[in-house]
This record gives sequence, C-alpha cells and structure tokens, in this order.
Amino acid sequence: MIQSIPEALNLILTVEGLLVLSIGTMLGIILGALPGIGSTVAVAMILPFTLTMSQAPAILLLLAIYAGSVYGGSISAILINTPGTPQSAATCLDGYPMAQRGEAGQALGWATVASVIGGMTSAIVLILAAPQLAAFALNFGPIETFALILLGLTCIVSVSEGSLLKGLIAGFLGIFLSTVGGDPITGEARFTFGQFQLIAGFNLLAVVIGVFALSEVLTRAASLSQDEQSLIEFNGMVLPRLSQWKGRLRGLFKSVVIGNGIGILPGTGAATAAFISYAEARRSAPTRSNFGKGEPDGLIASESANNAVTGGALVPTMALGIPGDAITAVMLATLTLHGVTPGVRLMTDNPVLMAAIFSGFFVINIMLLPLGMLVSRLAAPILRIREAYMLVMICLLCTVGVYFVRGNPFDLLVMAIAGIIGFILRRHGYPMAPLVIGMVLGPTLEISLRQGLIITDGSFAAFFVGHPIAVVLVLAAIGMLCLPLLRALKHR
Amino acid sequence: MSALLSERRCVSIVILLLIVGLVLSTFGLQFADLGGAFSPMFFPRIVLGMLLVLAALNLVLDATTPSPDNPIQLRPVLLIGVSLMAYVLLLVPLGYFISSVMLGIVVLLALGLRQPLQIMLIPVVAAGAIVVLFNHVMKMPLPTSPFTWWI
Amino acid sequence: MKPILKTVLVALTLSVGSATAQEFPQRPVNLVAPFNAGGGTDLLLRAFAPHFAEALGGDAYVSNMAGGSGTVGAAALSGQKPDGHQLGYWSVTVSTIQPQIKDVPYGLESWTPICSVAASPTVLFTQADSPYQTIEDVVAAAGEKPGKLLYGSSGPGAITHLTAVSAFAGLGIIDQMRHLPFQGSGPALQAMAAGTIQFFGDTELLMTRGDFRPLIVFNKERLASMPDVPTAAEVGIAPPLNELYLWGGLFAPAGLEPEVTQALSDACETAIASDGFQKFASETSTVLDFRNATDFDAFYRSQYESNARLIDAAGL
Repeated sequence: MIQSIPEALNLILTVEGLLVLSIGTMLGIILGALPGIGSTVAVAMILPFTLTMSQAPAILLLLAIYAGSVYGGSISAILINTPGTPQSAATCLDGYPMAQRGEAGQALGWATVASVIGGMTSAIVLILAAPQLAAFALNFGPIETFALILLGLTCIVSVSEGSLLKGLIAGFLGIFLSTVGGDPITGEARFTFGQFQLIAGFNLLAVVIGVFALSEVLTRAASLSQDEQSLIEFNGMVLPRLSQWKGRLRGLFKSVVIGNGIGILPGTGAATAAFISYAEARRSAPTRSNFGKGEPDGLIASESANNAVTGGALVPTMALGIPGDAITAVMLATLTLHGVTPGVRLMTDNPVLMAAIFSGFFVINIMLLPLGMLVSRLAAPILRIREAYMLVMICLLCTVGVYFVRGNPFDLLVMAIAGIIGFILRRHGYPMAPLVIGMVLGPTLEISLRQGLIITDGSFAAFFVGHPIAVVLVLAAIGMLCLPLLRALKHR
Repeated sequence: MSALLSERRCVSIVILLLIVGLVLSTFGLQFADLGGAFSPMFFPRIVLGMLLVLAALNLVLDATTPSPDNPIQLRPVLLIGVSLMAYVLLLVPLGYFISSVMLGIVVLLALGLRQPLQIMLIPVVAAGAIVVLFNHVMKMPLPTSPFTWWI
Repeated sequence: MKPILKTVLVALTLSVGSATAQEFPQRPVNLVAPFNAGGGTDLLLRAFAPHFAEALGGDAYVSNMAGGSGTVGAAALSGQKPDGHQLGYWSVTVSTIQPQIKDVPYGLESWTPICSVAASPTVLFTQADSPYQTIEDVVAAAGEKPGKLLYGSSGPGAITHLTAVSAFAGLGIIDQMRHLPFQGSGPALQAMAAGTIQFFGDTELLMTRGDFRPLIVFNKERLASMPDVPTAAEVGIAPPLNELYLWGGLFAPAGLEPEVTQALSDACETAIASDGFQKFASETSTVLDFRNATDFDAFYRSQYESNARLIDAAGL
C-alpha cells in the first residue's frame, strides 16, 4: 500500500484530480447541510455523473461527496437545531445551545476542526492497516455486537439532563418505536394495528427531524416575542485558538478511536459512533457538568467520531469487498461499473488505484477546513433573516428532506406527529436525545440479541462463554452505569 | 388548570395508559408459535415491561412533586400545530408548491406578521426556489399539483 | 397576470384531457424504484431510464419509494391512475412473494405487466475454505448433526432466503438446518467469512465479490461461468423448487390501455437493446432477459403460482 503512494499522488495532484476533489467536497458539504438530504441520497444523486469519468476520479468524487456530507450535516445541526443526517443528531446537543448563546461561529469552528482531525486520522488508519483491521472485525459476531450496543445504550443515562427517569422513558420509547413494523427474524408485522404503512416501520430521520427541528419551531412559537431578531447570531466561522485545545486532546483522541473502531464493524454506523463517543466524553471529560448546555467538548466528541467513521467504514468495504452500509455499497457498485472487481483481491490487484483512493480521502479531509469556512460564510447572510422567516424555511426544508429519504408521504405524517408530541414531551421535561439514541440502537440491539440466542440455542448465559470481547464490553457497560452513581454517593 | 390535574401529571398518565395498552396488545396478536427468541414479541415485551415500570414510577414522582409553572402562548402553537398536520396531509394531493405556500402564510400569520407583501412573498419565493431546484434542476421531483406537472 | 392565468388554464385542460396512444407520453414518465437510492435495483433503473426515455421520445425519471421490502412503493403505485406515466420496477419478491406473505393492498391482478428487463439464476454458496466440497457433503453433515448448520439471508422473504430454502427444502433437510436472517447482504457475508453461518444464496454476481464456493445452480442448465456446478434438478431437487431467478421488470397499474402498453413494451425493447444499456449490463454482470408485454404477463402469472409452493416451504 505505502509503496504505491507516490504513484497514486501523481494521479491525484493533477488539475483534474484537485478540481474533482474540491467540487465534490463543496457539493457534499452543501447537500449534507440541507436537512434530510443525507449522505446516501447525496451520493446516489451524484452517481450518474461519475459514469462518464475514469476510475480514480469517479471514486474520489463519491468519496468527497461522502466525507463532505457527513461534515455538512453538522452545519444545520448547530445553526438551526436540524440534523442534516442522523449522524449529526449528537452534534445538536451542544452545538445548538452554543449557537443560542451567540457562539455559533465558535461552535462551527470546533466542529470543523474536530471533523477534519477525525477524518484525517481515519484516512491514515485506512492506509496503514486496512487488511489487518478488516480481519479483526470478523471477530465481531452477533454476541459481540449485542454487547457493544448495550454499552452504547448506557449513554442514555448520561444525556438525560434533568430527570433520569424521564430520560430512560424516552430512551425505551425510542427502542419500542424501532420495533414497530416487520420483524427482522420472521418478517411478521408487529404493532401495525392493520395499518399497511406501518409495516415499513417509523423512519428514523422523520422522527429525528420531527422531535428536534419541528418541536423547536413550536417551542419558538410558544415563547415568541414580537421583535424582528434573527434566530441566531452568526457572522461566519471562528476557528478555535491553539491554547483553547488545552485539556481537550485526550477526549479528542478517544473519540477518534471510537469512531474508527465502530466504523469498521458492520451494520453499526456513524450515528451510533457519535452517540457512544458523546456518552464517553460526558462520562469522563473534566467539563462534563457543562454538557448539553453548549460545551465544545461535546461537539468535539460527536464530530470527530462521526467523521472518523467515514474512513473506518471503508475498511471492510475495500479490504473484504463487504459494504458496511448503504453508502459504501454505492461505492462498491461504482467500482464495479468501472470494471474493478470489489472483493478480497481488490487491494492486491489494484494497489495504485487503492492508494489513490486512500490518499485522496486524506486530501478531502484537509479540504474540509477551507471549504467549510467558505460555505459557512455563504450561509451567514441567509441565516441573518428574521426568525419568523427562518421558521418557515425550516418547515419547508424538513419536508423536502423527509420526503426524499424514501419518497413515502407517510413519513411526512410521522414527522409532523413526532414534532407535536416531541414539543409536548420536551415541555414536560422529557429529553429527546435518548429517544433518538433508542431508535438508532434499537434495531441492532434486537437483531443481535435474537441472532445470538438462535446461535446459542436460547441460552443467554452462553453469551459469555468463549466470547471474551463481549464480556469486556458488558463489564464496561456496567461500569458506565455504576460510575455516575458512585460519584453521586461520594459527593453526599 | 387545577393543581391536582396539572398538564404535567396528565402527560405522565397518558404515557402510562399508552404503555398499558401496548402491553395488552402484545397478548392479542397472533403469531407463528416458535417460542423464545424466534417469537416477534420476545424483544418488544422486554422493552414494554421496562417501560411499564418506569412510567409507573414517573407517575408517582410527578404526583408527589409540585408541577413547575411553564407559560405558553397557546394560539400560535395550536395554529402552527394544526396547519402542520394539514400540510403533510395535503402535500401529495395539492403538490409541494401550493401546500407549502399555504403553510408558510399560516405560520407567518400565527407568528404575528401582518404586512401582506411579506406574508405572500417569503413562502412563494422559498417554496418556488425549492421546487425549481429539485423538480427541474436535479430531476428529483417533489409531489406536483393536480393541475400541471411542472409545479 | 393575464398570461399567467392563461398558462394555468391551458395546462389544466391539457392534464384533464384523456390520454390516447397518439399523444403518449404527455409528460415525463415516472419510474418507481421500490428500494433506497444506490441499491442494485436503483442503479439498474437509473441506467435504464435515459435509454427508455429516448426510445419513448419523451422524458423519464427515477423516483425512490422504499420500505417494507419494496411493498410500500408497489402499494402506492397500485392505487394510481393507469395512464402509463407511472411505472414501477418490481422484482420477483416485490411482485410475487410479498403479496402472498404480507397483508399488502395489492396482488396478482393489480398490474399490467409491461416488460421484463433482467433475470439471473440464483446459486447456493458456501465459504471457499469450508469443508463442504459438494452438496452431498452438506446433506451428510446435516444428517449427522441436526440443528448445527446455519444458513443466512439478507432478511426474511428475500431472494437470498428463498434460494437457501429451495435448496434445503428440495433436498428434504430443511428441518435439520436453521435460518439466521441479517439486515442486508453485507452483514450476512461478513458472518459467513467469520464462520457464524455456513450457507448463503444469491446470484452468480456474488462470485466476483470474494472467495465463495458455489454448490447448486437454480437454472435449467449449468452456467457457462461455473460449468462444474450441478443444477438443482441434477442433485435431485424436484420442480417447482429447482429453478429460481432474481428477475425484475416494469409494471403499470392494472387497466392500462393496450396501445399504451404496446408503446411502452416496444420502448423497453429498444432501450434494452441500446448500446449504452448493454454496456452497463456487461459491466455489472447483469443478465438481461427481455420479454414483451404478452410473454411477461404469462411469465408473471406462472411465477406467482409456483412461488406459492416456495413460500410454503420457507414457512413464511
């Protein structure tokens, strides 16, 4: 891999190569920032244009769109509390409070730098160790995945500000919502009550946009003052100074490791990584008491992790030919369309192409910084319009986003109802982040638990015999649950 | 609102009743009898059982602590809430542009704007720009009106 | 204001006026992909659309309507007016399997079949380093240790599930095997590489993706790409379980006028024969299989019947 890099750089560092990378990244950021467009739709939209291009630029364009859109989702999460993609939902938690406080520029700065660092390290990991990591990921069977998700669920405890009880209710409601629809093992319909539309279940993004964005619109309307102020103050991105990083590097490092690790595993994804990393930061960061009120460490945790996933997800895709999610599946399809056979021999058969893809991925992540600044500068005047106009724009954009996820008008109804119920629940102290976490992790929790039980013939105790990774993860989950309690006892 | 049945207590009662109803529904549904982890109700029953306990505790907690007072401007919330529901239901039959303009006008009125030009212009420009971008530039069409295919 | 009003009125009358074959198509034709953007069906349809539009002398675009294993998109289309401007690309599972296992608002009589586009025979695979060299080894092993062998799938009722069911039910060993569904092919293949599951059924396209060993081919005759692999009939699997194809084609809501059906079917044939689409098919190893409206109608109905037997075997 490394010996092919000089040759690969000749391929990338041309006028065409750099043009493709910068246009792709820019487009990705803009598409990701539009609520609901999301990485999958963005990549699928651009795919037809890559058919006429040659191999390396085509893949690089898609990679640029992918990395750009994951980052772009954080812009709307911070500025208008509307996650462009589910993986940015954790970014809302601290990003929006910062923006409300008038520090939108700083929040975007932290998010951008964290994204760049997360993405760049994952590119390095990809270049150095993709085959070894892919082999390690095979150790993660259903039982290990179950233990990992259990660990992820403990973050519900840490993001339940106010009332832990109400947070847990929201979290379990989220898990319940994820069980509505076709059963993943038998295919039978559950909790559909004769409604055909419910067979497909509740769409995650429709619920996320409802409970975060629409409920915010209603909350604003409920406490509206008659002035002509804009929703938030924003004059462009402000990068964090070097001295401000003091005490935050440990958290950053941890988040990057979490993002890379989870990205490699099949069927988990960036939203899971962002939440697990956020929970870990909230547990261990020195600034943990400020989390949820606009703490940069929270932003760093979620943004560095979700961008690190982009590289991690490419590991099994490129090294084994097994796509981890819908986006990497599109990448594989593109490779096939250009006459490259994905699979275990991909890296040995096409070393230069692979080196070009991986080092191009590195360059894309460097470009996120200037291009992110440019996009946020362009967005600033739009955001300065008065609050009432902004609320209308949010409603219209949310609808577009939810409609395009899968073209199903039923999802729009789900979004509106989620918005109204979300508004009522938020008013009465039920935090919405646990609900989203429950919905993100619920399906994987269920299928891994039931797959595990099928493999062990129904014995839950057998989960912990001969599965050392699972044991460690479950112990960590118990630790995560007990630590805050112990800490609280100590303070008494 | 009376102190005994505050808004907050009503919400926790509704949540509890909803969960009780869902738990009961899991016993009424008919599934292939495979037992254990194969049963579609295996996992939801665990989740609903936890929820039942939590919701009961929550109701006790809310009933024993005084409810905080949070003021609300009911008129704009109701107007926007109802128009959002109408909007998502009318979006397909009327098309994205027409229904979005209608929603925009109602939201702006609900938020207290009164200048006719502003109220008309903003929704038309915003919805129009979105329709042009998606339907005609990117060829990813939003629902169109029954009158023409291009808007 | 006047000219705008006039345009609106003209447009109104145009859309109210009934569609006749002469003026078809009046507006862009919508091709519904019942799966998410970026999937195999979506890619095929997006490659097909421009050639189809050219052959039709109009415009065509793809819209995604995903959910419920494709049934959400199909259900939505089944309620549309049959004017030929709304078509769907349904696979074997969406059109013939799902309506027989789920309570969906469409069925055998909901469609006017237009043309079939692609059909690939399915193959049962195991990992290349597995101890099972032939299907006879599998039958022997299943008899020795019942309940220990697992087959994976990308979800209950998916073609990957039905391929394995065809094999094991046809060989009479399905009760000795267990089914482990995954959410998509990716996690299932990773589980096979890790040894959690032993068997996975898919089209021959999977061969290009990694080190797999094909065991049975569900086709009339042996495949040119794997001449040593026996067909299902050769290993003793009786009809109708011995042939299983992942096919897909265009459907319109039932009651489409015959002239419009014919125009669409002809356009479909031209599009499939076009150089651009042929190139796409060879690059993605898609097996093209055109049938015109009449033939496809007969094929669709016979598939609906024979798959009922398969559903029974799968216990769905």
